Amino acid sequence: MRLLRQFLVTSLCATLSWALHESDVGVVDWHKKLIGVPLYHSLQTAPVFYQDIVYTATGNNVLAALNATDGSIVWRSIFEPEDPISAFGVHSNTIVSLSGPGGATLREFDLFKGHLLLEKRLHDPLLGHLWEPSNLGTSIISTGASSSSDSSSSTILALTNGDTLTSINSSTGETHWEWTSPDKGTLIIYSKAITTPTTAYVIGFAKSASSFTLHVTSLSMLDGEVIASVNIPANFKNGLTDYIAITSGSDTISSIAWLDQGSIKAASLKPNLKGQVFAIKGMQYKRIMDVGLSHDGQFIAIKEDGAAQVLLLDPQTSSLKVIWEFTDSAPSKLYSDSHYVGGLNKDGEPRIARVYWSNVHNRVVHQVFSAQLAEGKGSVSGFTFPFETSVHGIVAHVAFDVAGSDESTGTRFLLTSSTGSVQLWQQDLLSWAREESLATIKVAEIVEMPQEKMTEEHVRLEEEGFFERVTRQFSDAKNLPQYAVNFARRFATGSHAPISISQDEESVSRDAFGFRQVIVAATSHGKIFGIDSSNGEILWSRVLGLGWAAEVGGTVIPVKLYVTRTVSDGDAPQVTLVTQRRADNTLVDTVIFHLDVLTGDDVRAESKSPSGAILEGFDIISGPLIEAFMLPTQNKTIMLLDEFLQVRIYPDTPEAEAEFQALAPSLHFSLRTGGPGQRKIMGHQTIYSPDLSMYYMAYPTWTIPFPPEEDVKAIIPSSPGLLASFGHVLGNRTTLYKYLNPHLTAVLTSSLSNSPPTCSIYLLDGVSGSIVYHSSIPAASGVCDVKATLAENWLVYHYFDDELAGSGQSKGHRIVSVELYEGNDIDEKIKSSDITSYSNKSAEVTAYERSFVLPYGLAALTTTTTKFGITTKDLIVASRKNNIQSIPRRLLNSRRPRNKPTNEEMEEMLVQYDPLLPDDARLIVSHNYEVANVNRIVTAPSLLESTSLVFVHGLDLFFTRTAPSNTFDVLSENFNKVQLVLTIVGLATAIIVTRPMMRRKRLRERWYR
Amino acid sequence: MTHLDYTSIDTNKWKNLPPPPGFTNFSSHANSRAPAKASAVTSSSYAALKQKRAWDLALSPAKQLPMQAFMLYMSGGGVQIFSMGIVFMLLLTPFKSIAGINSAFAPFAPNTSHANSSSTLPLQKIAYIACNLLTLAVGLWKCRSMGLLPTGTGDWLAFETRGPAPEISLF
Repeated sequence: MRLLRQFLVTSLCATLSWALHESDVGVVDWHKKLIGVPLYHSLQTAPVFYQDIVYTATGNNVLAALNATDGSIVWRSIFEPEDPISAFGVHSNTIVSLSGPGGATLREFDLFKGHLLLEKRLHDPLLGHLWEPSNLGTSIISTGASSSSDSSSSTILALTNGDTLTSINSSTGETHWEWTSPDKGTLIIYSKAITTPTTAYVIGFAKSASSFTLHVTSLSMLDGEVIASVNIPANFKNGLTDYIAITSGSDTISSIAWLDQGSIKAASLKPNLKGQVFAIKGMQYKRIMDVGLSHDGQFIAIKEDGAAQVLLLDPQTSSLKVIWEFTDSAPSKLYSDSHYVGGLNKDGEPRIARVYWSNVHNRVVHQVFSAQLAEGKGSVSGFTFPFETSVHGIVAHVAFDVAGSDESTGTRFLLTSSTGSVQLWQQDLLSWAREESLATIKVAEIVEMPQEKMTEEHVRLEEEGFFERVTRQFSDAKNLPQYAVNFARRFATGSHAPISISQDEESVSRDAFGFRQVIVAATSHGKIFGIDSSNGEILWSRVLGLGWAAEVGGTVIPVKLYVTRTVSDGDAPQVTLVTQRRADNTLVDTVIFHLDVLTGDDVRAESKSPSGAILEGFDIISGPLIEAFMLPTQNKTIMLLDEFLQVRIYPDTPEAEAEFQALAPSLHFSLRTGGPGQRKIMGHQTIYSPDLSMYYMAYPTWTIPFPPEEDVKAIIPSSPGLLASFGHVLGNRTTLYKYLNPHLTAVLTSSLSNSPPTCSIYLLDGVSGSIVYHSSIPAASGVCDVKATLAENWLVYHYFDDELAGSGQSKGHRIVSVELYEGNDIDEKIKSSDITSYSNKSAEVTAYERSFVLPYGLAALTTTTTKFGITTKDLIVASRKNNIQSIPRRLLNSRRPRNKPTNEEMEEMLVQYDPLLPDDARLIVSHNYEVANVNRIVTAPSLLESTSLVFVHGLDLFFTRTAPSNTFDVLSENFNKVQLVLTIVGLATAIIVTRPMMRRKRLRERWYR
Repeated sequence: MTHLDYTSIDTNKWKNLPPPPGFTNFSSHANSRAPAKASAVTSSSYAALKQKRAWDLALSPAKQLPMQAFMLYMSGGGVQIFSMGIVFMLLLTPFKSIAGINSAFAPFAPNTSHANSSSTLPLQKIAYIACNLLTLAVGLWKCRSMGLLPTGTGDWLAFETRGPAPEISLF
């Protein structure tokens, strides 16, 4: 067996190109490491400065450290999807995170390297309470002073699950003590904890009939003994935001404050929990805000009129007092609502910054308040900076620190915008920006660029004088020397200059082989990007406008992206983005954006809008979208179905309408219907009946009688692409005709209530609804995680095989390759690609399948696509080991013989079946990059038939190009063109030299014969 | 010094030999009867000789076959320049020979018939064609064994066409 595998590996060496040459790294590929958009809605996960590093937890479930000076990633730690980060805290030399349901797992990382130092499960994730928001009831408190005698270790207090406070030694992970509330979170949710050196206070709330009550329990820091527990009747509306716990700067005095029917009430906390509730009189408030300075005794309260006040817990009197009111902070038309955020300066003194957008200056204004407590006064220093709100949306979150000694110049602001841009501003200068919304790409397409156009200036020749003409022609010829040098080099060496260099910066045009294309990617943060595929630079980006929902707020969620005009149609390519806009008042609309791929300009706009303005869409359906399809017509019309299955056409021009009407009788499509858990698949057609609707309507034509518990999880269409051959020729020159039904659709279903639970994969004919192929797959641990891709007649799917009881199979990742051929035998053909689906013959199909064991799990898989479909299709997979691999079709051939291949089989280049696919590092195309949490792989053809472009998005972006059958259409790199050119030149000179000699000789011969 | 002594040749022994073809005895006009009889004898044997030579020519391709088979065997089954050259020769020569069959047999045609007519020497020509077809068959057999004959469906796959499907599926 081992010998055999070695043979296989050597045969691989002989026939495959080596995956990636070291010299190609960074030339053929690029990689963008991202962290995701910071989770700024909670103070426990929002970005914080610590020395020169910004720590944040992000929406992609990553705990990351960014270098505040240049914005590079210092380290990042990717959490599993079922283990969401709920809180993190910087704790002396480590950073501590709580993740999982209710904060089930505590992890401790090194601050500067990101090494995992400690991992501890605090409770079973299955026992975690699921509250909304998910990080309610979890909190990390680090106590600077150690309670034990060992000075090197310190104590972490973790409040988890809303009912448990655990004291943990930060270096050994030992639990000092643990306290669990008596009612185990059923009634009281403990959501905040605060400590003094001797006492820990846990504060929770419980909902009573009309309002909330506060519960405070004081514990001894030494052994976790309950000292006292009281209920405070507090009358606040929102249990999440309306109360805060604060300690004064010296950490000895603590207090809780809450909003009680418009007034702020506070209770001082003492270990025995005896004390008075007092109120700040004379003022009406509508909100109180924790700005992250609760350990320094400061917080913000918003008055009834919207003005913001800074309140301080006075350590002397243990009472709250107003120390500052920001001027002009009441809502106004002149400026936006303000963000208040706390930070510490170099000496650890608290500062509060107020950041808002000024409509007067069109700049972001920030003010930093510093309290001079000794004098009982405060001072504010301010600055403005030119934040581009039309490019980045509005400021959604601010974090700041005072790095320099001077308060006004040394202040750094980290802005997170609503479109997911993370920017660091120092004074009015942008230090760096990261487009983190690229970690949330929903739809992406690779679009070909046009060839460079000769810029012809319209010169009136007759009006031109001689000198003008000469100067114009000289200026036209200014690139000639460079061109000549390039030509000479290309002619002599045969190597094209790297595409990133040969292009001049301004023009958007393709290179010789079409490797430079535009990746259009729409993110879930309402922004669409045009990315240069040659280097990953962002060519343009546009903010997707909210339309009327801008008043109430909302989000735009990209659904589908269609290339509606390609280079071959002439003119600049265009894309149409179909989105669903969810306004905050729960209304859902379907909005279409139509863009120019090269510039990002709105195609619909009559006048060219100033670049950088927000892109406004077209509300095509005032309601949700069921499905969108692109018609295979000249104009690439888009057909949308609203919730009443009425057909809308975009663009709604008469020609598009006519095209649709001509096609309507023969259009078939399948839709998922039914609610979650009982989704069915139904085939539909369209009909026009004027008494029902003014639009064409879709009506069901077939459904598949799945068992009631079987739920349709996904519909995977066949990946488009040209086809070179209708069959596969065997060694004896007979043919297996490929089953090329153009209506073939893969459907993944799950039947989890079966015992044992199973998943299924079907291949359906989308017109008649007949099942062409069906396979049942075990559902490992009750989850259907099947990934599949369908191209031509080739279906590949991947699943995790759990150990089946009694079958003796071992568990592991499986990949199954299925090839469909026409008829029941060799040489039988039914012309499956052009017969009607209702023909009896259309179901005559033979499936060849082979299953392979994969040494790793897969996150996504797809096949390569090339211009004409001649090149073999390889399988591109994103493995759970965070790399991208290209598995050759030869290895996945479903006709690999089980015995030693015969001569005829050898002629077909079949290798003997080996259940285990090699875990070969040469198959990796992503070098040593970490390409994590891949969502989707997009492949596109280049102008070279041999080469396919591969774009991978997920948390990271990765782009490369692969040549499954080697680059047969370009000269290989080791071809000695210099030698060839020299030989030709030498022969040419020899001819030139010898020709006159020869002529003379002949002449002489005639005279003296 | 030596002299060639022709007189010592015994001419009687060679007296009855027929003159070489094309030789006309100018001196025999004095005595015409005896040479006329002799020429009748010589022309009949000459015709028989022609027949014999025509049969030789007709069967010559078949006689070459063993040699050609040996060459094919030596050239091997691969598609290489030598084997291809031999195969081309085997495929082309029969056609060439059949095309030039009349001129090839013209020297052997009897005096009575037209030299370049197809109807002269019919048996020999049929045999010649059959032998050439045999050579051609050997060449084709070689082609087949090398996989150069388009006999399988796979060889015609590239010429297959498919029209558009009557129904349109949207994805």
